[in-house]
Amino acid sequence: MIWRFTLRRLAVGLVQLSVLIVAVFFLIRLLPADPVSRFVGLNASPEAYALAEQSLGLDLPALEQFEVFLFGDDEEVGLVGGELGTSWVTGSSVNQEIRQYLPVTLELITLSFLIAVGLGVPIGVLGAVNPGGAADKGTLIYGLFAGSQPEFSWGIIFIFVFFVVLGIAPGPLGRLSPLTDPPDFVTGAITIDALLAGRVDIFLEALWYLSLPILTLSFVLSGPIIKMVRENVAQTMNADFMFYGQAAGLPRGILARDALRAAFAPALTLIGILFGFMIGGAVLIESIFSISGLGQYAIRSILAFDYPAIQGVVLTISALTLLIYLAIDVCQALLDPRVSV
Amino acid sequence: MTDVAVEKDQDSLGVLAWIGIGIVSVAIFLAVFSPWLIPYDPTQATENVSTPPPPLSAWPSLFWQTIVGDGPTPHWFGTDASGLDVFSRTIEATRTDLIIALSANIVSVIIGVSLGVISGYFRNIWTETLLRTSDLLQSFPVFITAMILVALAGRSWVNIVLAMSFLYAPIYLRLTRTEVLALRDRSFIEAARALGKTEFGIARQHILPNAIGPSLIQFSVTIGFAILLTAGLSFVGAGVRPPTPEWGSMIATGATQLVLGDWWPSLFPGIAISVTVFGFAVCGHILEKRYGR
Repeated sequence: MIWRFTLRRLAVGLVQLSVLIVAVFFLIRLLPADPVSRFVGLNASPEAYALAEQSLGLDLPALEQFEVFLFGDDEEVGLVGGELGTSWVTGSSVNQEIRQYLPVTLELITLSFLIAVGLGVPIGVLGAVNPGGAADKGTLIYGLFAGSQPEFSWGIIFIFVFFVVLGIAPGPLGRLSPLTDPPDFVTGAITIDALLAGRVDIFLEALWYLSLPILTLSFVLSGPIIKMVRENVAQTMNADFMFYGQAAGLPRGILARDALRAAFAPALTLIGILFGFMIGGAVLIESIFSISGLGQYAIRSILAFDYPAIQGVVLTISALTLLIYLAIDVCQALLDPRVSV
Repeated sequence: MTDVAVEKDQDSLGVLAWIGIGIVSVAIFLAVFSPWLIPYDPTQATENVSTPPPPLSAWPSLFWQTIVGDGPTPHWFGTDASGLDVFSRTIEATRTDLIIALSANIVSVIIGVSLGVISGYFRNIWTETLLRTSDLLQSFPVFITAMILVALAGRSWVNIVLAMSFLYAPIYLRLTRTEVLALRDRSFIEAARALGKTEFGIARQHILPNAIGPSLIQFSVTIGFAILLTAGLSFVGAGVRPPTPEWGSMIATGATQLVLGDWWPSLFPGIAISVTVFGFAVCGHILEKRYGR
């Protein structure tokens, strides 16, 4: 039952992804940008221009370019072979570059989510237990405020307060002090790699360097999480089974626990959606703290008109997002069998 | 218990609602009247480079001096590393950001709502394709797609507006279509049909006004998003070109001076954007509580 549901959802996801691949590829080429003159300069001779155009593969008609992208040519295997192509700027494989940058972003947002959920859920419940009370008003205003805020501005404020003025946090220099040798590349997530290499000191240093970006992101993320938990729990508190519980004289703590369980399913959806959103949305935080993750890679590729890299980034993010949605749907179906019918 | 809770909830919204409305009104006021309010040309450098803002204790006397016209106008928020007056730029940026955010949302609402009415009311292969396309657009990573569109199409404010409409119209389309689906089989539509009105006339006269509500609530929320996106784009160098005053690019330029201890070029635009988006978020929340489902 659940397998058939999963397979069906997976099939739908694959169709969506294929359409997305086509859309991204042609959308980029429809825009009035001239990557060739970006690489050879505006004053290049027509011959040099033509040569560059040819080497980038942009001399072919768009449909043929797409064919090369999908099925490759003499040198590359193409998307069907699992290759996203070669970056025009660095000349190395887009797959490898994404393999290097993606774990950094995932590490950052996973840790931020752990903090945001860990703080947001209890605070949201606290607000919902006593509707209209001071705690409720406080969480509502905090949730609205944090959820609307620009993370880049707060990142800078936090750097100023904790690094420049108080001097208790590291500067925005990346993931480790420039003097520390990073651990061997295994997963790409520096905290995990440090632990694998048995270097607890590097692990702690990495957490230390990640503290401000995580603080910023979890501050912004806690807003929608608190708001949603508060609303869901408040709604469940008004459900019939809760009235029964109250009538039966159950203590408030136990009632809140039951309400939290019932409010879990919609919370899961929102957290999943937020997570998917953040994979492509951590761009600004990475840029402020010089964390070389997928977001920084995206900025660099887009500003350099590096089409293969841009395609790679968008496809990676979309594929991951679709996978997360799939996982949410499957979890929902497991929690509540009515979903999969 | 339910009723009491709801009443209390609305009660507590009172003060908050006024804060939200106040912030939004001030922002709109500053955007409209900024040329008459700012003491310095926002794109013209003065000879005072990296001047800190005057200490708060000196503000009353400086304010008095300004009123009686004695001495030069102070740089209330200091100047940045190129000598631009931060106060004038922060005020003038309200105009840049608000115009972009508003235009993007107006375009998105017009496109999204009309396509939403069409795709909900007339159901055929074309509207089905439209719906799928809109779903596809919604699965794009928002910030990165906006960056791609603006960077490749050219960094002008028109392109920013178009890119955002492209990303936000699907939200309005979805919202409207859901409403239309609930409306199309209602008896007053049938009555209009029995009176011999054309299908298009029904869609325009009876469906549209009844289906636009959720989009108008969404409008306030999405303006906040649009301001963040506009500022975020120029923050990474893919938005409006400097020296156009814009909060995001001001924060970015100011950030480079931060380690030297110059907090004012980035802090003041940061506060401006924080307060503005909070105001729009509050208004969106109030509208949703009052008129939403």
